[in-house]
Amino acid sequence: MNTVLIIQSLISGIMMGSVYALLGVGFSLTWGVMKVIHISHAAFGLLGAFLAYSLLQFWGMDPILSLIVSVPLLFFLACLIYHFLIRPITQAKEVIVASMILTFGIAIILENLMLLIWSPDPRLLTISYTSKVLVLGTLYFQYPRMAGFLLSAVGVLVIHFFLKKTYTGKAVRAAWQQPEAAQLYGVNLSRISMITFGLAVSSAGAGGVGMAFLYSFEPHTHNLWLIYLFLVVIVGGVGNVLGAALAGLIIGVITGLSLAFLPYQWVNLLTFGLLMVILVIRPHGLFKGEV
Amino acid sequence: MVSFQTKSNRLVFGALILLVALGVFPWLGPPVYFISLLFTVFLYVILATSWNLIGGYAGYLSFGHVAFFGIGAYATALMMKWLNLSPFWTILSSIPAGGVAGLIAVIIGYPCLRLRGPYFAVITFCFAFVVDLGIKNLDIFGGPEGLWLKSMDLPIDVIRSILFEVMMVIMVLAIAFSVWTSRSKFGAGLRAIKEDEEVAQTMSINAPKLKIQAFALSAFFPGMAGGVYAYNLTYIHADIVFDIMISILIVLMALFGGGGTWLGPIIGAVVLTLVNEGLSTFVRAEFARIIYGCLFIGVIIFMPNGIMEFFKRGQREPSG
Repeated sequence: MNTVLIIQSLISGIMMGSVYALLGVGFSLTWGVMKVIHISHAAFGLLGAFLAYSLLQFWGMDPILSLIVSVPLLFFLACLIYHFLIRPITQAKEVIVASMILTFGIAIILENLMLLIWSPDPRLLTISYTSKVLVLGTLYFQYPRMAGFLLSAVGVLVIHFFLKKTYTGKAVRAAWQQPEAAQLYGVNLSRISMITFGLAVSSAGAGGVGMAFLYSFEPHTHNLWLIYLFLVVIVGGVGNVLGAALAGLIIGVITGLSLAFLPYQWVNLLTFGLLMVILVIRPHGLFKGEV
Repeated sequence: MVSFQTKSNRLVFGALILLVALGVFPWLGPPVYFISLLFTVFLYVILATSWNLIGGYAGYLSFGHVAFFGIGAYATALMMKWLNLSPFWTILSSIPAGGVAGLIAVIIGYPCLRLRGPYFAVITFCFAFVVDLGIKNLDIFGGPEGLWLKSMDLPIDVIRSILFEVMMVIMVLAIAFSVWTSRSKFGAGLRAIKEDEEVAQTMSINAPKLKIQAFALSAFFPGMAGGVYAYNLTYIHADIVFDIMISILIVLMALFGGGGTWLGPIIGAVVLTLVNEGLSTFVRAEFARIIYGCLFIGVIIFMPNGIMEFFKRGQREPSG
């Protein structure tokens, strides 16, 4: 075992983990605040990745800049979906089950739309700096991964401060903790839910771009991402933004370290096995906390 | 009471006639398409009916039920390969294959059934993924190449008809068990768990034991069906028998027909399988799936309590 290899995998693990965190934060929020398990969350992330891919392909737009286009687009789309599809079922007796099946339907539709538009070929974001590496002593940092890391760090922090500092963000937290009391104090629950859902879906889009910096993707990839979402939420605790961020990092480090010693498929198996164990031992997350 | 008796007798009689008709059907030399269509219908009736034991009666929604189907398929294929079974024994080996699925359900059900609501749904969802990945990456299970099964030395339409009958028998067994459950003390216990598990416990219902039993049985029938399915297809691959779509489809079928009754999942499975087959016959695959996705949404929004409730409500409304 050599130390450089371990430190190197630790670094790449942290970079991967930050992206998982950004992808998972919104999923955690929708589950926590709205009691909706949003199965198509990863599919929206993938949509963000494909939009970035096409904008890069046709206009040479940098993937991070492309978020200026895709984030508002996804936010708008999410508001429509919330208004017409999600809101009608939030009154149902078993919201969680209904929401899982409903959003699975949305995921199928999105997946097949992406298949029609972008075909099933695996894609890779090839940017001018894809193969560039920053070398510091014996360690090296790949530029795309650093871009993904920065994007995710900024994204998670923005969501965190939005929830802690802004009025709307505080209303979201209030709605999560005490829905009835929040309503008494004049919080419009359905408006708050719409904002939460829009925010979650657009953060998924950004997280999808982050994932595209790391891995190749095709229209079916969202199924695999979905498991990472569950992992982030279960480890971090439902509705817990900082918990999700921390969980993302932990999962990233575990993946990074095990990638150094195991073949890729086994790493997935290991992480999902871990998920099942955590679910059984600590179903409400490893950390205590709130939104 | 008398009228109930005659009504139920008439139902049993009608069901018998239907079964005999279905049993004779493949021997009359109909187009292959209809045999395989009915075979698929039987398969989904089995899957939805057995899912209903744990999901419908007990209210524990398993989102990974395809795992047991796939485990059964692989168990049969491997038994055939390792023990060099004759066709007769291969068909019978679907019984131990169901047993393997049931045993695995007991093992994972023991810790998982302590989780409630969404957490149970999530863990079963992930369980199916773990099994899928594990099988794809282990060479003894054929790895990413999948497994071939040796077919019988008989004309192809005879093979098809035999397996059709076997699948039908499993379906009848699953439905009979479901009907029995809905009328038995066992089923009453499961319903009590669905209503309120704590109260059920205080009424001296052994909830953990009942849940494990229901979960194991709801894995047993899909395991058997998986074995027969594998033998019919003669080739299995993890992507086919562990398709996550099947898991969700089972839940949707049971809910569409109305979970918690024995008839609901049958209606759901028949209707949705026919719709699915119809769509994929006439429309391009991607469009078919998009329409299917819309169907998921429509069912949940317009009939959250199932199609049976939907029509009952429609009848009741005029009278207030």
